[in-house]
Amino acid sequence: MRLLVVEDESLLRQQLEQGLSKEGYLVNAAEDGRSGLYYATEYSYDAAIIDIGLPEIDGISLIQEIRSAGKQFPVLILTARGDWQDKVTGLDAGADDYVVKPFQMEEIIARLNALLRRAAGFSKPKLEFGPLCLDITAKRLTVNEESVDLTAYEYKMLEYLMMHPGKVISKSEFTEHLYAQDYDRDSNVLEVFVRRLRQKLDPDQTLKPIETVRGQGYRFSL
Amino acid sequence: MTPKSIATDYSLQTRLLIVFSFLLGVFLSLTGIVLDRAFSNSIEAGAQDRLQGQIYLLLAGADEENGEFFFLEDLQEPRFAQLDSGLYGFISSVSIGELWRSDSARTFDLPEPEILQQHINVGENRFDRVVMEDAEIYFILHYGIQWENNNEYNFSVVENAAPYYSEITNFRTNLRSWLGGVAILLLFIQFYGMKWGLSPLQRMANDLKKIESGYKDKLEGDYPRELRGVTDNLNLLIESERKQQSRYRTTLGDLAHSLKTPLAVIAGVLPKLKEKHISESEEQLASVNDQLDRMSQIINYQLQRAVRANSGSSLAKLVNAASAIEKVLDALAKVYVEKAMELETQIDKSAVFNGDERDLMEVLGNILDNAFKYGSNKIRVSLTRTGVENRDLNIIVEDDGLGVPEDKREFILQRGVRADTLIQGQGIGLAVVTDIVSSYSGEIIVDKSDLGGAKIEIVFGKG
Repeated sequence: MRLLVVEDESLLRQQLEQGLSKEGYLVNAAEDGRSGLYYATEYSYDAAIIDIGLPEIDGISLIQEIRSAGKQFPVLILTARGDWQDKVTGLDAGADDYVVKPFQMEEIIARLNALLRRAAGFSKPKLEFGPLCLDITAKRLTVNEESVDLTAYEYKMLEYLMMHPGKVISKSEFTEHLYAQDYDRDSNVLEVFVRRLRQKLDPDQTLKPIETVRGQGYRFSL
Repeated sequence: MTPKSIATDYSLQTRLLIVFSFLLGVFLSLTGIVLDRAFSNSIEAGAQDRLQGQIYLLLAGADEENGEFFFLEDLQEPRFAQLDSGLYGFISSVSIGELWRSDSARTFDLPEPEILQQHINVGENRFDRVVMEDAEIYFILHYGIQWENNNEYNFSVVENAAPYYSEITNFRTNLRSWLGGVAILLLFIQFYGMKWGLSPLQRMANDLKKIESGYKDKLEGDYPRELRGVTDNLNLLIESERKQQSRYRTTLGDLAHSLKTPLAVIAGVLPKLKEKHISESEEQLASVNDQLDRMSQIINYQLQRAVRANSGSSLAKLVNAASAIEKVLDALAKVYVEKAMELETQIDKSAVFNGDERDLMEVLGNILDNAFKYGSNKIRVSLTRTGVENRDLNIIVEDDGLGVPEDKREFILQRGVRADTLIQGQGIGLAVVTDIVSSYSGEIIVDKSDLGGAKIEIVFGKG
C-alpha cells in the first residue's frame, strides 16, 4: 500500500515515514501543502496522512484540492489544536478521520488500517472470501482455518488484490503500490509472485482465486 | 438626587426638551410682557391725547369775568353736561383752588381736591391717575394756562379709565390665548424637530444593540458629519477586537502546534528507547510516558479553555445551531462509519446560538463524540428552542451504551480549575463542555436515557 504523508515538522515527518515503512507501507513524504498537492495529483496513493497546519497551502485547502482533482483515497488528518471546529472542517472538506497530536504510532496505524479497509468496502479487519481469510491487522493468512506462511511481498500483493476484489489490477499499478519509487522491476517478477501465491492459496487448483486477464493484469475473484 | 444622578437620569431628548421649553417659556413671557406694556402705554397715550382734546374744547368755550369762569354756549362734548357721565372738567387756580366744574361733576368729588391747586407751568401737561374711594381709577390731565388777565389757571379734565382698562384686559386675554397657542405649536415643532434632529443618534443606538446581539457586523449607513468620527472609530474598534480575538486564537494555536510537535517526537522516541534498553528501568520509561500524556492533556485542556471567546463579549454572533449540529453529526458518522449507528434526530431548523461558533462546535463535538464512542447501536439527538419566548437553546444527546453511574455523574463534569487535578486517564472533553456551558451561564445535566445509556442535556439561556 502506498501512502502520502504531508507534515511540515521534519522530525515528525521522519518518524511517520519510519513507523509506517516498518509496517510494510510505501511512504512518500511532503513537507508543505504545495508539494503535497503535487504528489497527490501526480501519483496514485491508497491513503494520505495530512497535517492541518501546513505552510503555503494549509491542510484543509490541500484536502479540498485533492478531492477536486478527483482523488478519492482516504485521508487521515493530524491536528495540533484538537478543537472540534477544525476536525469538523477537515472532515467536511473531504478527510475521513482525524488524530490529535501528540499521537502514538499504534493509533495512526490502527486508524489507517480501518480507513483502508473501509475504502475497500470491508468493515472488519478480516477479509474473508470462501475458505480464505486475511487478517490485515495481524498480517496473517489462513486457508480453511489453517495458517499459510507468506513472504512480505507475497503478503503485500495478496492484500492489495483482496482489498480490490473484482478489480483488474495492471502490472504498473502493482509496481506503483508495492514497490518504492526508485525500484524499476521487471514485470516477470510479478508473474513469479502470482504463481507462488496461487500455489500457496490453491494447491489443488479448485478455487482459482487469482485470475489472469490477458493483456490487462490480474483480478482477485472468489 | 445628587446632581450626578440627575445628569444620568435624563435622556438627551428630555434634556433638550427641558432647555428649549424653558427658553420658549422665558421668550414668550418676555414677549407677552413687552407687548402688554406697549399696548398699555399706547392706550394711555391715546387717553392722554383725548383728554388734551377735551381741555382744548374747554379752553375754546370758556369765558372769564372778575375771576369767574362761565360758558355761554353748550360744550361740544355732551358728556360734560351729563351728570355722572364719567368725563368731568375743572378750572382751578393755585391760590383759590376750584373755580369752575362741569355739570357732569356736580356729584363728583375728587378724593384729594388739593390736586387741583398744584402748580402747573404754563403750557405744561400733567397726566395722572386718581384712585377713587370705590377703587375706580380715573385719568386726570392738568394743563396750565395764562389767561388774558395775566393770571395763571389750571384746566383739568378727569375721565373714567374703566373703558381703557377694559380694552387692556381684552388685549391681555387675546394675547395670552395667542401666545399660548403659539407656545403649544412651537412645542410640537420643537419635539418633532428634535426627534428628527436626534434620529441619527437613535439609529446608532439601535445599530449598536443589533451588533451586540449578533444581527449586524458593524455600523452601516450614512451618519451626519458630526457622528461620522464616532461611527468610523466604533467600526474600527469592533473590527480590531474581532481581529484581536482571531489573532489570539491563531497565536495560541501556533503555540499548541509548536508544543505538541516536540511532544509527539518524544512520544515517538520512547518506544525506541524501550527497544534498545537504553534505560534499565522500564518503570522510568513508563513514568516518562505518563508525564507526556499528562502534558498533552494539560495543553489540550488549557488551550481549549483559552481559545474560546469570552461569553461576555459584546461581539457575539448568531450561529445557526441546526447547521452546526448537522455538520458535527456528518463528521462523526464518517469517523464511526463502521459502527453504523442508528441516528434519531429532532432538530429545530430555526434554533440559533447566541455566542461563538467555535464554542458551540466544541460542546456538540465532545458530547456527540462520547455518544458515538460509548453507544452501541443507537443515538438520539434533539435540538430545540424552549423557555420564555423560545429564546433558550436546548440540546439533548442520548445513547444506548452503558451509561454513567449515578455516583460518577457530577464527577465527570468537574471543571479542572487546576489542570494538575485532572486525574490520569480522565478525558477532558466533558470538563471543557462544562467550562463552556457555565461561561454562557447555561446548564448541563447528566442522566440516564430510556435508551439505556447516558443522557446529556444542555440548556443555553438568552441571558
